[in-house]
Amino acid sequence: MRMIVFKTMLGSLFRDAQTLFWSIAFPIGLLVGLGTYFDDPQYSQQLLAGVLTMSVLFGSLNITAFGVLQQRNRGVYKLLKATPFSIASFVSCLTGARTVVGLIVSLVTLAVGMMVFHVSFNALSLLMLVLILILGTICFVSLGFVAANFAQNEGQVNMISNLTGMPMLFLSEAFYSLENAPVWVQMLSKCSPFTYFVQAAEATVQGNLSAAFFYALILGCFTLLVLALAVLSFRWDSESKRMIRLGSAN
Amino acid sequence: MESLVSTVRLLKRYGDRTVVKGIDLQINRGEVLAIIGPNGAGKSTTLEMVIGVRKPDEGTVRYWCQEPNKHIGVQLQTTPFFPELNTQENLRLFAAFYGVNITDQQLNDTLARCGLEGARKTDASKLSGGQQKRLAIAMTLVHNPELIFLDEPTAALDPRARHEIRELISKLAAAGTSIVFTSHDMEEVEKLATRVIMIADGQVRASGTLEQLKQKHQVHNLEQLYLTLTE
Repeated sequence: MRMIVFKTMLGSLFRDAQTLFWSIAFPIGLLVGLGTYFDDPQYSQQLLAGVLTMSVLFGSLNITAFGVLQQRNRGVYKLLKATPFSIASFVSCLTGARTVVGLIVSLVTLAVGMMVFHVSFNALSLLMLVLILILGTICFVSLGFVAANFAQNEGQVNMISNLTGMPMLFLSEAFYSLENAPVWVQMLSKCSPFTYFVQAAEATVQGNLSAAFFYALILGCFTLLVLALAVLSFRWDSESKRMIRLGSAN
Repeated sequence: MESLVSTVRLLKRYGDRTVVKGIDLQINRGEVLAIIGPNGAGKSTTLEMVIGVRKPDEGTVRYWCQEPNKHIGVQLQTTPFFPELNTQENLRLFAAFYGVNITDQQLNDTLARCGLEGARKTDASKLSGGQQKRLAIAMTLVHNPELIFLDEPTAALDPRARHEIRELISKLAAAGTSIVFTSHDMEEVEKLATRVIMIADGQVRASGTLEQLKQKHQVHNLEQLYLTLTE
């Protein structure tokens, strides 16, 4: 039954042609535009990692947050509670489907980046990059659930996901170095999962797999933390209580 | 008559407010039970506790079988289908939620029962209000349940769509499906229900067949009863 649900969810994501088009067009446009402007092979590697990770961050966080809020407000989770299909299975099918779409978007972006900037990978690095992208997608899809769990309406979910995503982007080294940034900015940067996602992707692009593994490990710990937060803050409907605030589920 | 569901002293609080205050009710096989009452009376909360969506703060719900959610179909006030999927995809998806890998024949039967054959490939978001309600009811039928709950199935529909939904409910009842529904339309309740429960202020105020209620409360129709008991 999970496979039917997964396939249906995946099909529905592919049917949203406009979202899919912009999910691919925006990172590629950014990559080619900035790559042409800053014509430096070393920066191209950082740019490729930055664009890939940023695309995963916003593609996972914002789209998931809006999707979950809409499904909750439409009563999908409430109705699911009345069926034998567990909410955890549904969420894992949805996350899996979004991860597949996110991965396809990332691979297309990666392929364009490799062609335009003549960046090459060996099989192990490519595998590592795919694993890091999957891990990042799971982390930020979970964060999307958290954003939706704390929002009541579209306005709030937009604000919460932007207030979460934007600082993470600005506090990372996705597009610039934080070497000369104030110490407090560097300290804050270390508290963000996106920082380690960028560092893991950058290290992989540069061929430093041991560093990539280390950063991926930290990202994995953050992913577990965010997943736990997503589960604890989950709400079946807009009236139900959050476990994280009140100590018991409704 | 075999009892399918019975509740004992169901109680639900939201913060300091008690919305359901010790409700006892029984749902019997083969009946069409209408639950009526003013907005905010506790009807939907009671239904949600009976179908297992909400946990009662006190009281118990007893079912006739071990895994009731496999044998109960639910239509909520909202329309919780997936708007980007078409009618038949929504039905297949909800069948999977109930653990059923629906065959083409079963799918066709469900579409035919609910008058949705012509809309099988229409995106759910593009269906008319009446078709969306029929899809919501079709989604409750994909696993051949013995009991279905319909929360305000004809609310906000035009007269034709309301008529079609009422006909559908009558057909389902004639085919032996036990039905519990809520409604604010007293004429509709009189036409469809074999038994009526009236809830007001979180308590059962009246219960019985239409004739029993008319006799007991000395009224000519259900609307009069409603107005008398909600004064």
